[in-house]
Amino acid sequence: MDIESIYQQSFAGRRNWKGRPPYRAALNSEITAVLERFFAAKRPGAAVSGVRRVGGGASKEQFFFTLSSNGQDEKYLLRMDPGMAITETDRAREFTLLDAMHGIVPVPRTAWVDNDAEFFPQSAAIMHVVSGVAKPSGSGVKVSGLGTWLGPEMRAKLRDQFMDHLIAIHAYDWRAKPLDRFDVPDADPKQAARWSFNFWRELWQIDEGETRPIFALADQWLADNLPDTADLVLTHGDYRTGNFLFDEDSGRITAILDWELARLGDYHEDLGWVLTRLFGTVDETGTFRACDLYEREEFVTEYERRSGRSVNRRTLHFYDVLSNYKCYVIVAANGLAAAQSQNNHQDVLLTFLGGTEPVFANELANLLSKGAEA
Amino acid sequence: MRPTFDERLASIIRALSEVVLPHLPPEASLAQEQVQLSIGHLQIMRAQLDQLHDYEREELADYTALASALCDAVTGGTQTQAALAALAQAISDGATQPVRAARKAVNEAVDALVRACVADGAPGARETLTRLILTQEHERIQKDRKWFAPFGFDTL
Repeated sequence: MDIESIYQQSFAGRRNWKGRPPYRAALNSEITAVLERFFAAKRPGAAVSGVRRVGGGASKEQFFFTLSSNGQDEKYLLRMDPGMAITETDRAREFTLLDAMHGIVPVPRTAWVDNDAEFFPQSAAIMHVVSGVAKPSGSGVKVSGLGTWLGPEMRAKLRDQFMDHLIAIHAYDWRAKPLDRFDVPDADPKQAARWSFNFWRELWQIDEGETRPIFALADQWLADNLPDTADLVLTHGDYRTGNFLFDEDSGRITAILDWELARLGDYHEDLGWVLTRLFGTVDETGTFRACDLYEREEFVTEYERRSGRSVNRRTLHFYDVLSNYKCYVIVAANGLAAAQSQNNHQDVLLTFLGGTEPVFANELANLLSKGAEA
Repeated sequence: MRPTFDERLASIIRALSEVVLPHLPPEASLAQEQVQLSIGHLQIMRAQLDQLHDYEREELADYTALASALCDAVTGGTQTQAALAALAQAISDGATQPVRAARKAVNEAVDALVRACVADGAPGARETLTRLILTQEHERIQKDRKWFAPFGFDTL
């Protein structure tokens, strides 16, 4: 299978996870103990305190803690893989990327990584803590940040930054400053699209998703319609509201998060992801806003105007379909497999998210009804 | 007198909502989230319990109807013919299988037909197959969206 080399290894690991015993969410006391062992080796004399779990997603277990050393207290965030994450990603690669992005877009500063799980039960990374919120206070409970309502005032403050940071990521000069552990899909013009499609198709097969006719049709349609990528850029892979932090008073974005799906590929892939319906909102007039920031056409034209890139509508249509295909794989295969195998700490969240399956099936049906053209 | 499923679920929801959740410490954020999600799951399951059997039987009937229409309309070479024969067998077996196993088998056979049709479907077979699947799935998906609407993700 033609796929980025790093995923060949992690997919082999995922296949092996299925027979392992159930995974239990780590207790604060257990994390404290492992952090103490880690810092005894990495920073002798430092003391760990205030370990506190961060609620939220199923892709990582996260804990805040304080490290005291030489009379100074510093706050950190530990990000650790659960027994089986929703998708397969690499902590060292994420670290490489965060370091590369520093000074280009706001990102958390990296501190330590234990990619081979030498100290931690699974691959783990430690970052400096960034202030900010992922959704406005009082915006209500939204599972996994889906459909977060920002409101007119915050929307006005965030939308230009959201766009400019995305454009800055796509403008990263990866040829002049190569990214370690990132392969370049340049064997042929379709390789970028093929790698992305194959990544999700392989995850679907490993996790034995239960198919339905519209998914079978979408799978074949994507295989038949891989677009050429003329301009390889760095893509974030999960760029959306819910995956950045902002200061509620100023409306300034303080950190772009969740880089684990980043790769070298086609910028249309990020655009299609931003435009995914479930990440957006519909206001009282029935108007859809992608990530509650931009109407669809407005987002596309504004991206073109600010970036100087042109958006190929046929290619965007492919990535619209691929975005919903990815979501379908995540909720109907990866999440349920993790829950069924009891190898994740968020089984109940994952089975709840399974309730989005008809939303993505509906999007696939609507998009495929348009044929190859947008 | 014995407790019904509805009464048992109602008592669990009440225990989680009024006894367990309020006593969780503020710092136990994961536990709070998971109790809230558990309550949500149970409330939806309680509301749907009496309709579950009908929903699943209708789902199987819809997919079987699509499979039958595909068997009638699609033709092709060796691979397509083999996939059609397997689909016809899945339809036949489904009459005596448990509903979920039958649904899975029929849909897997449709999946295989989609691929076989690419390999050696007769002229126009792919277009016919695509049209039939899109038409049927548009209808089926609306039923699924309604069923999962209580999860709150779908604005319908």
